[in-house]
Amino acid sequence: MNSTISVSEFDSGNIRRVKKVQEFLDKNELDMSPDIEVFVTIKDEDDMIACGGLAGKVLKCIAVDNNRRGQGLILKVVTHLLNAALVRDRKELFLFSTPKNIEFFRDCGFRLIEECDDEIILMENTKNLESYQKKLTSLKKDGDVIGTIVMNANPFTLGHRYLVEEASKRSDWLHLFVVREDASEFKFADRIELIKKGISNLKNVTLHEGSDYIISKATFPTYFIKDKGQVNELHAKLDLNVFRNQLASFLGITHRFVGTEPYCKVTNNYNKNMKKILEDPSGKTAPIEVVEIDRIEFAEQPISASRVRALLKENNYEELESIVPPSTYEFLMKGVQDDK
Amino acid sequence: MINSAHAGTLESSDVYIQINPIEEDIVEIELHSSVAELYDDMIEELIRDTLKEMGVTGINVHVQDKGALDFVIKARLQAAVFRACGTVPSWEEQS
Amino acid sequence: MMKFRRSMLFVPGANTAMVCNAFVYKPDTVMFDLEDSVALSEKDSARLMVYHALQHFTYKDIETAVRVNPLDSVFGHLDLQAVIRGGADIIRLPKTDTVDDVLDMQSAIEKIEKEIGRTKKTKLLAAIESAEGVVNAVQIARCSDRLMGIALGAEDYVRDLRTQRTKEGTELTAARAQILLAARAAKIQAFDSVFPDVRDKEGFIREVEHVRGLGFDGKSLVNPNQISILHDIYAPSEKEIDWAYEVVEAAAHAEKNGLGVVSLDGKMVDAPIIARAEFTLELAIASGLIGEEDE
Repeated sequence: MNSTISVSEFDSGNIRRVKKVQEFLDKNELDMSPDIEVFVTIKDEDDMIACGGLAGKVLKCIAVDNNRRGQGLILKVVTHLLNAALVRDRKELFLFSTPKNIEFFRDCGFRLIEECDDEIILMENTKNLESYQKKLTSLKKDGDVIGTIVMNANPFTLGHRYLVEEASKRSDWLHLFVVREDASEFKFADRIELIKKGISNLKNVTLHEGSDYIISKATFPTYFIKDKGQVNELHAKLDLNVFRNQLASFLGITHRFVGTEPYCKVTNNYNKNMKKILEDPSGKTAPIEVVEIDRIEFAEQPISASRVRALLKENNYEELESIVPPSTYEFLMKGVQDDK
Repeated sequence: MINSAHAGTLESSDVYIQINPIEEDIVEIELHSSVAELYDDMIEELIRDTLKEMGVTGINVHVQDKGALDFVIKARLQAAVFRACGTVPSWEEQS
Repeated sequence: MMKFRRSMLFVPGANTAMVCNAFVYKPDTVMFDLEDSVALSEKDSARLMVYHALQHFTYKDIETAVRVNPLDSVFGHLDLQAVIRGGADIIRLPKTDTVDDVLDMQSAIEKIEKEIGRTKKTKLLAAIESAEGVVNAVQIARCSDRLMGIALGAEDYVRDLRTQRTKEGTELTAARAQILLAARAAKIQAFDSVFPDVRDKEGFIREVEHVRGLGFDGKSLVNPNQISILHDIYAPSEKEIDWAYEVVEAAAHAEKNGLGVVSLDGKMVDAPIIARAEFTLELAIASGLIGEEDE
């Protein structure tokens, strides 16, 4: 029996203790995730022998010392992380880890969503993916070219509208997904409403509310802190694999449309990965062709949501009006009025 | 029952039980076992009996079994129910 | 027959695998712990677990003790309610400084026993873990007929003495001597503390040999693997067994022939010596050295 073993739980404010977790993860060749709120560590006397973290509804950074494997420590860590999640009323959980731990987590009630490059796994403790896939299947449309776009639209600009119109023209049917996570300047409800208004003239488009499985904090946590340039390549690949294998195949998607990305290195890199992963003929589901559409410009500058946000800050409403649809402009001006 | 609660661990020989109040006046059981399915019916019966003893309905019970003995399942379920009700056992009423 | 308590295995009440499996290791007494080894958030769950374990058939043939939380904590009375009802043979008092600590526990137990109509008296084991407790050990040992023994709790004791534990254990000399004397004078058992380093097998052996030599009846353990080592050390030697056989045989012979005095090798054998010989044979049986039919 291990009378010398102790478990502790602490939040990210405990800088000294977090630093020790960081060192332990380094030793075990795992990355620390910057969004962890609650840490669980197991120590044998003064030595850390296992750890894990909870970020939102995601369990991650779970590690056990190499010399202490096979002692059920991973189960102790997951138990404490689960307790931490449940007391915060988070019941529907995800888990990031490495493939060697799949069986342990299965025995803890988690199901595999996707495995990527033999390096990373994403699991969930619900059957939500299954029901989501059923729902997608019911929305499937026939056609030779079934297109898709995933957008955050923060907020919806003429650039977005051009992309959607082009994609709609080139597709028999277009599935448009809106990133659901409320981690941007504009709320999801507003973002999707503006898209709906902005594309009301298009008849072959299904507008989908995003989910935990499309660019969410669960599948792609570092996307939401991309300004800090910390996008994890592995997470990006995982997100794309989930998209191809777990979602697109249920809608019969053949093409994914993206705007070209001349400035943002992070997004540009994501687009490159997108081509590689979605078009890979050796994948387990049908490949998806990635179509890049050039961004339209105004005053010799590409139109982007970040430009809209900048103009808002500068109170440059004149230029703003010329790069967003009337519905978006109206919404933004109402916001300006309300602020005053 | 008013609140959600949980008890137990995911470690070997133990069981992790989550309970949630539900609208209907029934007992809903979701059982996951890492051991043989052979015992599923027995575990379910044990859970129903224990809840009946405690006079609890309108409950969803999520069970992650790691090969727990009967008394372990009973102890963890009781602990979860008492936690959900924010009470301790009134031993005086039992024997 | 005298109850052997060479090994008292501590089983954390929150460690389900241990609670379920402790009986397998065949300690003389299983001691479920609801106190120090259980985190505050798990006190309620561990209490229920131990309550049910006590009633499980696997613990029917093995003596059970429970270390409860202090009565002045929010958990103490709840623990007691549960484990007396569960049928614990022994309650281990968490920290015994004075006679009143024992008497308070005794009356709390009596009250519950009365409520449930339990006729078999729950026994008490007082853990002496402070200088005050050691000084009062003589009175403590004699204060209740429920007390089956007193035990040294070394970790808290050395802290109270402002020292720390060493491999040699010299810091425990006074406490061990006092506890043993107090127990023997009161005709109850004396138990030594847990050996702190689970990895140090040789140190453990040395300590067990030492406390057995002092006269302790047994020792608390946290590691099941230590049980057989401890039992081997407590086993009587071949010479002792041989002597015990002769004494018992001589006594039986004398009784059969109506002789008032038993003698062996020209020396008189009185009742305490016969009792000692019988104890040795029982210990030999418990140690697996002889079968019961050999007696």
